[in-house]
Formats: sequence, C-alpha cells, structure tokens
Amino acid sequence: MPNDIKRANEPNRARKSLQATAVASAYQKEWFAGLRARVEAGEDFGYLNADVPMEILRAMDIPFVVNQWWAAICAAKRMTPKYYSLLNAAGYRDDLCSYCATAFAESLDPDDKISGPWGGLPSPTIAITRLTCDCQSKIFELFAKNHGADLYVMENTQPRKVPPNWWELSEDRWEELYDKDRLDLAVEDLKALISYLENKTGKMFDINKLIEVMNLINEQESWYKKTRDLIARTSPAPVTVVDTINAVMQAQWQRGTRWAVEHAKSLYEEIRSFVDAGRSAVPNEKIRLMWLGRGLWHDFAFYQNFEDKYGAAFVWSMYLAMGADAYIRYNVEADPLRALAARYIGMEDFLHMPPWNANWFLKEARHNNIDGVVYMVPENCMQAVEGSYFIKKTFEDAGIPVLLFKADPVDSRKWNRETMTGLVEDFIETRIIMGGKK
Amino acid sequence: MGIRDCARNSKAFQRLLRYYSNREEAAREFRQKGGKVVGQLGADVPDELIIAAGMFPLRIYADRDSKLIEADKYLEFSFDPVIRAQFEKIVDGTYSDIIDYLAISNSTDVIIRTYLYLREIRRREPEKPVPPLDFIDWLFTRRMLYQVRNEFTVDLFRKTLEEWSGREISDSDIEAAAKILNNDRAALREISALRKAHKPRISGSEALVIIGSSMFMDRAEHAELTWQVASEAKDWPEIDAKRIFLTGSAHEYPDFYEMIERNGGVVVGEDHDWGDRHFERDYNSSYSPTRAIVDRYMLRSFSSKKAFVSQRVQALDEAVNASQADAVIFYVNMYEESASWDYPSQKKSLEDRGIATKAFVKMAYPVARNEWLEDSLKKFIDSLKE
Repeated sequence: MPNDIKRANEPNRARKSLQATAVASAYQKEWFAGLRARVEAGEDFGYLNADVPMEILRAMDIPFVVNQWWAAICAAKRMTPKYYSLLNAAGYRDDLCSYCATAFAESLDPDDKISGPWGGLPSPTIAITRLTCDCQSKIFELFAKNHGADLYVMENTQPRKVPPNWWELSEDRWEELYDKDRLDLAVEDLKALISYLENKTGKMFDINKLIEVMNLINEQESWYKKTRDLIARTSPAPVTVVDTINAVMQAQWQRGTRWAVEHAKSLYEEIRSFVDAGRSAVPNEKIRLMWLGRGLWHDFAFYQNFEDKYGAAFVWSMYLAMGADAYIRYNVEADPLRALAARYIGMEDFLHMPPWNANWFLKEARHNNIDGVVYMVPENCMQAVEGSYFIKKTFEDAGIPVLLFKADPVDSRKWNRETMTGLVEDFIETRIIMGGKK
Repeated sequence: MGIRDCARNSKAFQRLLRYYSNREEAAREFRQKGGKVVGQLGADVPDELIIAAGMFPLRIYADRDSKLIEADKYLEFSFDPVIRAQFEKIVDGTYSDIIDYLAISNSTDVIIRTYLYLREIRRREPEKPVPPLDFIDWLFTRRMLYQVRNEFTVDLFRKTLEEWSGREISDSDIEAAAKILNNDRAALREISALRKAHKPRISGSEALVIIGSSMFMDRAEHAELTWQVASEAKDWPEIDAKRIFLTGSAHEYPDFYEMIERNGGVVVGEDHDWGDRHFERDYNSSYSPTRAIVDRYMLRSFSSKKAFVSQRVQALDEAVNASQADAVIFYVNMYEESASWDYPSQKKSLEDRGIATKAFVKMAYPVARNEWLEDSLKKFIDSLKE
C-alpha cells in the first residue's frame, strides 16, 4: 500500500518518442548487469566523477561507472529522498551536494542490494575524482571508505589564456586554446593515473588502444554534431530534450566503444527519418526553448508541460551540444595523451567558466533559433556556479530573454512542479509572447 | 573576559588593536609615501614575495553591515556571506584608493570562482573599479608532481610582482622578507604558547587581535609589538574558563570569540586562516626561495577547504591535543559547505576521546544576526562544567 500511495503522488513520466532512447535505456541496464558480473568475478571496478578522463580506463578495459550518470539513474528511479534521509541519519547534512553525494548516500543503505537501482551499485575497488570543487575530495573519500575502495584524485588548474571561441580551436588547435604548461601538467597527471592503474589492476596501458578509443569517440561525437545541426535547422523540431538528453547522456558514458558509435549513428538516422517524414515533436511549435543547466532527472515530464498550451518546445540542452562541440580531438595519433589532456582539462571550463560558457551558449542559441532560455541554477553547488550574471547578460544583450531559477537536478524534495510550471508559463507569456519575441 | 584590561593597558597591544580596528590605516600611509599596496584575497598569497617587491600586503576582509548590491548582482546563491561581502568591497570601489593590485589565491573553490568573475568584469565592464589581478593557482594535493607545478606558479607570481612593482625581485630580497616574516611567526607562536598553557595568559579575543593585526600593518613592527605583548602577558592574570577549540569558518572579527568568552569559555586555539594557521609553518631558508615558499604555503596544516576528511580529522585531533581543549565548537557560515562533510567524522573521533563537541551550521552573517546563538552557546559551555 505505501508503494501505491507513493506512485499516486509521483509526477507523470515523460513521453519519449525515440527508439534510440529506449534502446539506450535497455542497453545500459544490460550493460550494468554485465558489469556487475565482472565485478562479482573479482575484477577491479572504477567509480569516476564525470570530469575524470575515463578514456584511460576504457583503453585498459577496466569496468567503470560515472558518478553523475549513476546519480541520474538513482533520481530517475526516485531513490534520492531515501538516500538523503540516510545521510541525515548518519549525521551528515542532507541538503548539500546532492548530485555528487547521491552514491555516497546510497552506500549508507544496508538494503541497497534489494532496493537499489538494478540491484544497487556494486562495490568499486577504485574511486577517482578531479578536484574541481572543495567538496569533491571529501565526498569521494567517504564513498571510497564505505566501499573499501582506493581513492585517487587528480588536480585541476585554471586557465590564464582564454581565447573567446573555444569551439573553433578545440578539435585540432588545442595548443592555441590552452596554456602550454596546463597541458604539460595534465599529460603528467595522465601518466601518473596510468601508472597507478597498471599497478592496481595488473593490466598494461596500451597507447594504441587509446588511439582506437579516441578515434571511436571522434566518430561518435561527429554523429552528435550532425544531429545537433539537424535539429537546429529544422522547425518544428523533430525531437525535444526529453529524447535527446537521455539518448545522448547514456551513450556519452559509453564513449570509446563501438556500441556508442553505432548508437549515435542510429540516433541521427532516426531523427533524420522523422525530418524526412515531416514528423515533429511539437507540431504546433511556435516557441523554441533552451534548457540551461543539468537535466531535471526527477521530473522529465516537466519539459513537456508547455507544448500543448504554448507550442513551446525545449529543443536544446547541453548534453547533445557538448557532444557536438566539446569532445572531438582530431589527429590523436601524434600524441594521444596530449589530445586526451586537451579534452578533459577544458570540459569544466567550457561549461562553467565565463566567458567560455556564455559565448558558446549564445552561439548555440543563435544556431538553434532559440526564443527564450530557461536556466536552472542549483542552490548550493559550487561546481555548477558558472557566472549566471554574465550568461544572462550575454543572452539579453542579444535580445534573448532568460528565466533563471533555483532548483536541484536530483533532489525532488526541493521541487514543486506546479510552482515551476507557473514560473515558466509566466516567462513565456510576459517575456517571449508579450515581449515581442513571438 | 574577551579583551581584558591588562591587554588594553598594554601600549604594544593598544597599537596592535589600533591597526586591527583601523585596517586600512597603515596601507594608506604606505601609499601616501608612494608605495604600492597589493590586496590579498585568500589565505595563501605569499607575503614574502610582496614584501620582497617593496610593496605592502593588505588582506581583503568583509564589512559586516554593508549592503551587498554588487554581490547580489553578480554572484549566485551559493557564494558564502563572507566572500560576498569581500567581493562587494572590491567591485563597489571601496578599495579603489587603498589597493593598487589584487592577488588572489585559490584557497577555496569559491575564491577561484570569484577570481574568474572579477577577471570577466574587468574584461566586459572595464568601468568597474576592479584593480589589476593575478591568480596564484596553488595545487594542495600532496604529490611531487603538484609540488613542482607550484614552483612554476610561484615563479609566475614573482614575475607579476616584478611588473607591478617595476623592479626585479632578487633572491636576497626574498630572504630578507622571509626573515621578517619568520620572526613575526615566531612571536605569534610565543603568543600561542601563552594561550595554550595549562593556565592561559591570553584570551582568544586578544589572540585574534594580535594575529589579525599582522594582516594590516608593517610586519617588522608587528613582530616587535608581538614580542613585547608576549613578554608582558607572562604577567597577565591566568584565565580560568572552559577551554574551547574553534573550527569551521574563518573569523575576521572577534564577535563569536567574545560571545564564548563572556559565557564561561576561553578560545585556546582554532584552525582557520585568521588564527593559528596564519603563522604555523616557517619559510625554510635552507631551501631556494621558490621551494621555500612552496614548502611554507603548500605543506602547512590542512585547511578545511583543501583537504580530505581523514586529513582534517587527524589535523583537528592534533590541534585539539596541542591546545588541551575541553571542547570543540564547529561554526560554519551559511553556504560554506565543505567543512560540513568533515564534521561527522571529526565529531566521532573527538567524542571517542571524551572531548565534547557542539555544531553551529548554516549560520547567518554576521554573528549577531543569529539571535538564538548566545543562549545555545551558554547552555553548551555550562554543560561542560557539570
């Protein structure tokens, strides 16, 4: 009975139209079962923060899970209220770092194998994070301790050189994009990580395998570029973020595999077929919205609330667009580690550092014919602090209205769909429709 | 107790209190004589290099009662109230006629973001009175790779200071500055010993003034005055109160110390940047200047921001032992979150050893805004007497 009541109170599930999304969802469940089998058979298992260069583990065939992906799964399975109550019971605050601390909170659950998503998270033997915020090292250390895993951390440096249009340099001119000493350090950091992993797992790191992984990623992300461009130039849009976020994020964490390439290709081809057939996600599309911030994992249906009433479609999120612009690194053969360094050290900066993020968001808004931006800023996450003033100003100076609000991507306790729907409706009516954008 | 008459009657303490209370006075005088002042945001800007460059280091601090018009405009919700108030003063022009340059160390993640924002304001809104900036990108994880990187970073900052000051900084300039600073640190350690003695001779409020004043005045003079206070304080009355160790947020003002000390406690130690941590490791003159600076700033005790939980547990245990504290108070400002992850493990470790703890978290700023605080604090200190 309690479960029935819970279901009755839960928000509606989002309507998803893409086969590729369903395929990715099915695959990740199957893949996770395979991973569990490998861990149970005694293999080392890595748990990584999203900004860790996972390509190294992929090249070494060390199974791993990405922290933010797993937090999203926990949120989508609506486990987070339980997990945060466990934090509270253990003496921790339950209102901090929800995105990064979900897995640590889950590690406090004695029933995880029974009630956790897909049988819960197997115990990692290695936990790796980068120090991109003060809380990261602490949360990962607590998490590692609970699982009896090694903790490995990598430092983060700040750019002195900030050429404005990073996306024009990132694919093959990274020496112009970054300070040379930052790249040098990142390469040494990668070598240290490799050395640690070789010692820990007994597996050799093969540079040729890394080249293969990097080239697979280039192939995968090139499909995202085509997909992003296709959606950008098609109105009404063939799909919305409800489909693309999940389809891309799930496969992004599988990057460097043939499956991920084929999935990215199938995603493009499916959307291409929608376009060719004249099929659109919101046939009465009048307003194209951009979603800034992390995915609203606990309430995806929210994105669809404005389609019938206003013809407002969320057509853009960072997940697909980052795939299109941020990951590709060509000519990796010359120096694969340096190419990888040139990918991972910039990822946080592209998203969270002014002016790189604001310039890119505006470029994307123009490319996608965006009418308005809905911008979610978490209340207490420093990692997601990214110069919202500069972002908002950049858009508004360009004539694109912005709604900025506080919410949490995984903590549903801080979310009131009715209030938030009212906020967005008011924004659409007063800033977009009456504001003359439409 | 707080600041007692014995301290107020000391000429040396009076002078320290004057600079602590009039925090821009010495910098203004220095500037009027043609010197250049470098504002310091963060606790890890090497004083040695600024003094070696012939410039005056001045710590940026928060005003307790100012309106946060600029901060509310530029900063997101998650910037803590102290950095908000510091940011306000930098952007609203309060420091325009006080500092010539601003050096920022990545002592916390929030300061890194603040640097990025200030850099962007200078780029996009050059009419704002934000001075020229430099960022000292320390890496605090203890590995040789990062130690070597920090040497590169220190050399970059040295070059910046040479540009700002218009003169070359020689190794002997740095050695000379380090000698002054080591002497000052030694004097402050003498104060610390009197404070941590079996019967303390110096209160926490007094110590906070003595330590904090060093951030706003000539360091050679500060050292001389501090040695003098240390000498006099040996004859100051012993303090009979419950010994409290304070951890968590930094205290730029003595409000909370005074509250503890008028309710039956005495603050015998702390691990924040305006307390014991400020003077605890010397510049090692047997190393080259760059290495000695890296050694001093990278390897002193762990800050609450840039350390693992286990490191913080051990560091707090050791500091509490050294101060013979009866109890530990955790005081954490709203949105200053990272220490909250240390707290449960620290609390357990302390309580397993019979040391009482009390946590005040998500605190409004300034201290006085927490109207309920004093009653709760008094009850806790009273409970220690039972």
